[in-house]
Amino acid sequence: MSEDLVLRCALMLCCALLSVSASNWLYLAKLSSVGSIRDEETCERLRGLIQRQVQICKRSVEVMDAVRRGAQLAIDECQFQFRNRRWNCSTLETMPVFGKVVTQGTREAAFVYAISAASVAFAVTRACSSGELEKCGCDHNVHGVSPEGFQWSGCSDNIAYGVAFSQSFVDVRERGKGQSSSRALMNLHNNEAGRKAILSHMRVECKCHGVSGSCEVKTCWKAMPPFRKVGNIIKEKFDGATEVEQRKVGSTKVLVPRNSQFKPHTDEDLVYLEPSPDFCDHDPRTPGMLGTVGRQCNRTSKAIDGCELMCCGRGFQTQEVEVVDRCSCKFHWCCYVKCKQCRKMVEIHTCR
Amino acid sequence: MAGAIIENMSTKKLVILGVTLLLFQALAFMVGGLIAPSPTSAVEYLTTKCVDKDKDGLKTKWFMPWGGNQCKKIRTFDEATAQKIEANHIVFAAHIPMQKKEMSPWFQFILVILQFEIAFSMSNPIVDGAVVTIDASLAYRDDLISEWTEMAHSLEHRNLNCNFTSEKTADNEGRYYKCDLVPFMEVGSVAHKYYLINIRLPVKDRKTINNGIGEIRDIRLVSIHQNGGFTQVWFAMKTFLTPSILIIMIWYWRRITLMTRPPVLLEKVIFALGISMTFINIPVEWFSVGFNWTWMLLFGDIRQGIFYSMLLSFWIIFCGEHLMDQTERNRFSVYWKQVGPIVFGSFCLFIFDMCERGVQLTNPFYSIWASDVGTELAMSFIFVAGICACLYFLFLCFMVFQVFRNISGKRTSLPAMSKARRLHYEGLIFRFKFLMLVTLTCAAMTIIFFIISQVNEGHWHWGDRTVQVNSAFFTGIYGMWNLYVFAIMFLYAPSHKCYGNDQSSGQCIAGDGGATSGEDIQLTTTITHVDGPTEIYKMTGKEAQE
Repeated sequence: MSEDLVLRCALMLCCALLSVSASNWLYLAKLSSVGSIRDEETCERLRGLIQRQVQICKRSVEVMDAVRRGAQLAIDECQFQFRNRRWNCSTLETMPVFGKVVTQGTREAAFVYAISAASVAFAVTRACSSGELEKCGCDHNVHGVSPEGFQWSGCSDNIAYGVAFSQSFVDVRERGKGQSSSRALMNLHNNEAGRKAILSHMRVECKCHGVSGSCEVKTCWKAMPPFRKVGNIIKEKFDGATEVEQRKVGSTKVLVPRNSQFKPHTDEDLVYLEPSPDFCDHDPRTPGMLGTVGRQCNRTSKAIDGCELMCCGRGFQTQEVEVVDRCSCKFHWCCYVKCKQCRKMVEIHTCR
Repeated sequence: MAGAIIENMSTKKLVILGVTLLLFQALAFMVGGLIAPSPTSAVEYLTTKCVDKDKDGLKTKWFMPWGGNQCKKIRTFDEATAQKIEANHIVFAAHIPMQKKEMSPWFQFILVILQFEIAFSMSNPIVDGAVVTIDASLAYRDDLISEWTEMAHSLEHRNLNCNFTSEKTADNEGRYYKCDLVPFMEVGSVAHKYYLINIRLPVKDRKTINNGIGEIRDIRLVSIHQNGGFTQVWFAMKTFLTPSILIIMIWYWRRITLMTRPPVLLEKVIFALGISMTFINIPVEWFSVGFNWTWMLLFGDIRQGIFYSMLLSFWIIFCGEHLMDQTERNRFSVYWKQVGPIVFGSFCLFIFDMCERGVQLTNPFYSIWASDVGTELAMSFIFVAGICACLYFLFLCFMVFQVFRNISGKRTSLPAMSKARRLHYEGLIFRFKFLMLVTLTCAAMTIIFFIISQVNEGHWHWGDRTVQVNSAFFTGIYGMWNLYVFAIMFLYAPSHKCYGNDQSSGQCIAGDGGATSGEDIQLTTTITHVDGPTEIYKMTGKEAQE
C-alpha cells in the first residue's frame, strides 16, 4: 500500500512537472468511483492534484466534494458554451481531461482556466449556503470567529470564502512555479478573470422591513448569478480575448497586449499567448484534438456552427432521420413528465 | 403661553445649551457608527432537497439538511427522476442558523424570504399568473439532540412573479427566470436556539395545484435578523434616554403647575409629546430577551405610530397657536380639521399593521401581500394614509405661510406698540422662528441621512475603522428626536422671569389666550387699530359674543 502511495506521489510529481499547464485537478470530476471525499486518506488517492493541493485537501476535506462538483460544473458549462464550435470541449477519460488542447497558451486554455476557477468559487459558495461547510463566511470577519461574534454582528458573505478558497486551491499550481513564466502569469490572470465574472455580477437584493413594512429599515444582500450567466460572461470575454506577451516593467514581469495599438486588457478580460490551432483535423499526437469529422452542423448558418466553417471546407453529408420527440407533455415541477411520442423527419448534416 | 424660558435666556446660555445638545447628537451618531455593528444581517440558505419516501413505513416528520439524523438527500432533480421519486416526496429543508451557530433572543425577529430558481424550458414554462402552493412548517429545539417541536404549520399561496429576460428559444433553455422575492415568514421573537424549516410543494393534478410553475431547480431562503450587537447598543441607548426625558418631563410639568393659571393647550401638547417620547423610550424590549413575547414587533410599531402622530399634531398646534390673528384657539377641537387626517392616516396604517403583523402572531407564514385581495386592501390602506399625509402637509404649509404673513404684517406695526405688547409679539415671533429653524434642521437631517443610508452600501472605511452608516443613522436620528423633544420641553417651559424689569405694573403676562386678563384685552384692542378694518370686524364680533 505504502509503496503504491510513494509511486503515486512520484507519478503525480512527474505529472505536475511534465504537463505543466493542464488543469489536472479537473480530473476530479471523472472520479465518480471514489464516492464522497470524507477523510484525509482519500486526498492522497485523488489523481490530478499536485502535492500542495493534496495538503489543502487534507486541511479542508469537507470542501473537496464541492470542489469536485465545481470541476463537473466547469466541464458541463464549457461543453455547453462550446457546443457550436469546432473544439467542443470534449473530454477524455484519461488525464489531462481536455487532452493536450489546453496545454498551450491558447484562447481555449484561457477559457478553461477562467471557467474552472469560477466554478470552484461558485460550488464552494453554494456548499456554504446549503450548510454543508462549517467555516465559510463566518471565519473571515474579525467579529465572526466565535458564536458570540455571529451573535454580535452576523457573518460576512459566503462568496468571499468561496473566492478565497478558489484562489488558494486553483492558483497554487501557478504560484509554485514562481512568477517568472509567462504561462503562469497568463493562467493566474485568467483564473482571476473567471472569479471576477462572478464577483462583478453579484446581484444586490434588498428587502424593506421597517414600520408597517416601510423602507425605513432595509436589508440588502448579494446573490450569486446563475452559473449559466457566469458561463456566458466568460464566453463573451473569450470572444474578445487579448493576445499578450510578457514584458519586463521595472523589476516585475507583466503581460501587455502584443499589438500595442490595442487597448490594454482589464482584470476581467481573458488573455492568451498563442493563437489557437484550427481544430479541423484529428491529430493522434495531440490527445483531445478530435477534429470535426462527423460533427453536426447547421446548413443555413454563416457562423462557426455553419457547415462551411465547421467542416473546414471538406463538405458535409445530409441524412434524413426519423426522430422520436416528446410532445403534448404534462409536467410537474419536478421529476414527472407524461408525454405522447411524436415522430418527425429531420435533416441532419454531418461533416465529412 | 407667555414668557417661555427661551425668550428670557441670555444668548450665551442658549449657545452653551446648543453646543451641549450638539455634542450629545454627535455622540449618538458615533455610538451607532463606531460601536454598533450593522443593524441587520441577512443569511442565505440553499435548501437541501430531502426525500420523504418511507420504505420502512416509518414516517419521519422533520427533515434535517445536515448533522446527525440527516435526511436522504438528492442533489439534482435528475437523480429524483431516475429514482422514480415524485414531486410530492420532495421536502426542501433549511436549518437556521448554520452549523456550529446558535440563534439568540437578541436577534429580536427572524424574517425569511423565499426565492425560487426556476429554469426555463420550452415545454414546461411558467404559465401566466402562476400561483405556487407551499406547505410550510417551522419547528424549534434548544439543544442538538432533542426532538423538534412544531411551532407553525400552514398551507400558503404565493404569486409567482417571474419573467424571462432572454429570448424564449431552445437555445436559452436552462437559463433561469428572474423571479421576485417572495415573502415567506416572520417571527417576532427569537426565543429558541435552532429552527428548522420544511417546505413541500404538493402537486395535485385534479385541483391543478402547483401546475405550470415551471421547472424548479432550487429554493433559496434568505433569513434576516437584527444583529445582537446592534440590539444591545440600541437597548443601552433607550435605557439611557428614558430617565433623561422622564426627568425633564417631570420638571416641565412641575413648572407648569407652579403657575397660577391653568396650562394652555400648547403646554399640554408639549407635555403629551414628552409622554409619547417616553413611551417609545421605555426599554420594555429588555423583557424580550427573557420572555417569548412575539407581539413585541407589533408593539414597537404602535409606539412609533403614536409618537409620529403626536409629533405631527404638535407642529400643527404650535403653528396655530402662533398665528397671531387674534382668533380664540387654545382648544383642541379647533384643530380637528388638521389633526383629523393624522389620526385617520395613522389609524389606516394601524389596521394595515394589524392585518400583517397582527395575523403573523398566530401564523408566521401569513402575508397580506400574498393574495390579490390582500394586496389591494393593503395598497388602499397605504394609499389612504398617503392622501392623509399629503393633506396634512398642505395644511401645515398653509399654516406656516399664514404665520409668516402675519409676522411680516406685525413687523411693520411693532414700533408703534406699547413695550409690553411689543415684547410679547417679539417673543412669539422669536419662539416660532426658533422652532421652525430647529424643526426644519431636524427634518432635513432625517431625510438626508435616510437617503444616505438608502443609497450607500452600509459602511464606510475611515482609516482602519469601519463606520456603520446605517447604524449611525438609526441611533443618530433616534437621539436627535429625543434631543428635539428635550430641548422643546426645556426651552418652551414657562419662565418665571418677567418681560422687562421696568414694566410699570411689575407683573408678568400670564398668557396670550388662556387667561384673558384685563390687560390682555386692552392690549388686543390697541392692536386692532393698527391692524385695520378686518381686525376691528373680528373684535366687534368677539365683543358681541361676550
